[in-house]
Amino acid sequence: MAAELGGLAWPARVQIWDAALAAVRGYFRDQGLREVSTPVRVPAVAVEPFIDPIAAPPGLLATSPELAMKRLLVRGSGPIFQIAHVFRRAEIGERHSEEFHLVEWYRLGADLDPLLADVEALVARVFVATGSNGHVPKTWQRARFLEVVTATCGAALRGDEDPGQLLAALPPALADEVSRAADTSADAEPRARTLLAWTAFFTAWSDMFFEPWLKGHEGTHLVDFPAPLAALAITDPARPWLARRAECHVGGLEIANGYVELRDAEEQRRRFAAVNELRRVHGAPALPIDEDFLAELPGLPPCAGIALGLDRLITLAACRTRLADVSLALGGG
Amino acid sequence: MDVSELRKNAKVQLDGHPYVVVEFLFVKPGKGQGLYKCKLKNMITGAVLDRTWRSGEKFDPANVESRKMQYLFKDQNGFTFMDNESYEQVALADEIVGDDSAFLLDQISVDVLFYNDRPVGVTLPSHIVMTITECEPGVKGDTATNATKSATVETGHKIQVPLFIREGDKVKIDTRTGAYVERINT
Repeated sequence: MAAELGGLAWPARVQIWDAALAAVRGYFRDQGLREVSTPVRVPAVAVEPFIDPIAAPPGLLATSPELAMKRLLVRGSGPIFQIAHVFRRAEIGERHSEEFHLVEWYRLGADLDPLLADVEALVARVFVATGSNGHVPKTWQRARFLEVVTATCGAALRGDEDPGQLLAALPPALADEVSRAADTSADAEPRARTLLAWTAFFTAWSDMFFEPWLKGHEGTHLVDFPAPLAALAITDPARPWLARRAECHVGGLEIANGYVELRDAEEQRRRFAAVNELRRVHGAPALPIDEDFLAELPGLPPCAGIALGLDRLITLAACRTRLADVSLALGGG
Repeated sequence: MDVSELRKNAKVQLDGHPYVVVEFLFVKPGKGQGLYKCKLKNMITGAVLDRTWRSGEKFDPANVESRKMQYLFKDQNGFTFMDNESYEQVALADEIVGDDSAFLLDQISVDVLFYNDRPVGVTLPSHIVMTITECEPGVKGDTATNATKSATVETGHKIQVPLFIREGDKVKIDTRTGAYVERINT
């Protein structure tokens, strides 16, 4: 990665966004997906442990278009994509912004592979369209989550360990982090405690082991997540301790996260409840449950969906490291 | 305060010491917890340490304030400074001023750092001009070599200067390194 090139000049920013937006739309039209645009202000968002919405009374600003797009799928939209403005409170840094653009798309069929192929093609198309010189990732590897864990920190995990089992399997540096989290959640219900322990493990492991490991690889799809980190993904029917979730990384930067989508409304409700329990333990406000979404969820056709951070992709294409170097945010606002 | 308030230059209280955030990085792996990775500098000792906070945690802001003050005199109570605005005088102990005493000219304006309303440190201007009070005779024309000699400035402090410098010359000194910078032509 080139160091400290600084921000693009304004005409160059306009050009790169124009090229990238046209490339994304061109790719999905070629693929036969329809473009949609769902509301930015919504009554409820997907309940996530560490994603906080910004209030926009009487609703919230969308943290992702996921719930709305799934409801369109229920209503027969067929495969769809969207370039969505999304908002996440207090995410401010070189690679984070409270407002950013998610390219989110859904294909019918319970299979992640076509989506991962889309990510590879889309990354190449955006890099070429923006005139990025020779930085298109040429090789993509598929890496299984728990195999990378073993390779990087030595811990052998199956994916369904409870907090005590997880703690016992981890090297000291990671066990410290997980036991800190476990201490704070002693009174929480078991499912929330398991979620918290695995989330604490994932956060610390990513920071200490996974990100340094990623630096040596151009494009990586991290697949077969442990079941407690399924979020809105199904668990693998043949191996229920694993989830059909994938994360895509380019040059050490996470750019996309996808699921074979969960269609079981009761399981989805239990997961949202566990997340809200975890949020309570952390002193974060509980988030409203989107009952309209849960009511329609059983009608969702088998499908897989993925969301890609467009600001990050353009930053990579511009050979920069900070979103602010390519952003069209005008400042002063 | 909530860790989401952390920024570069934020003042943080840690283990009873004031720190300033000199490097700041927010990272958030996947759908994991946000990490606020900070490099912190102890505002009194200058010692640097790394500290990571997780989203949802709290930090204590440090009650620190920098005041412009003028150096007046030294006596058995230490070094006495006067606030440029309130004219309030405070005496700073020798160990707080430390090696900076070598550059404390009469009337010099400095920044005095207060932590919980107690003076804890002095920041000199980065460059000051001092007069040479004593040195070996100047060597005429020798401006090209790197050879130096010892010279005494008006505070009694000794510095290394080029051979052409004479008694009575004014010289610019970098207070952070203590090094001679240039001769000031008057």
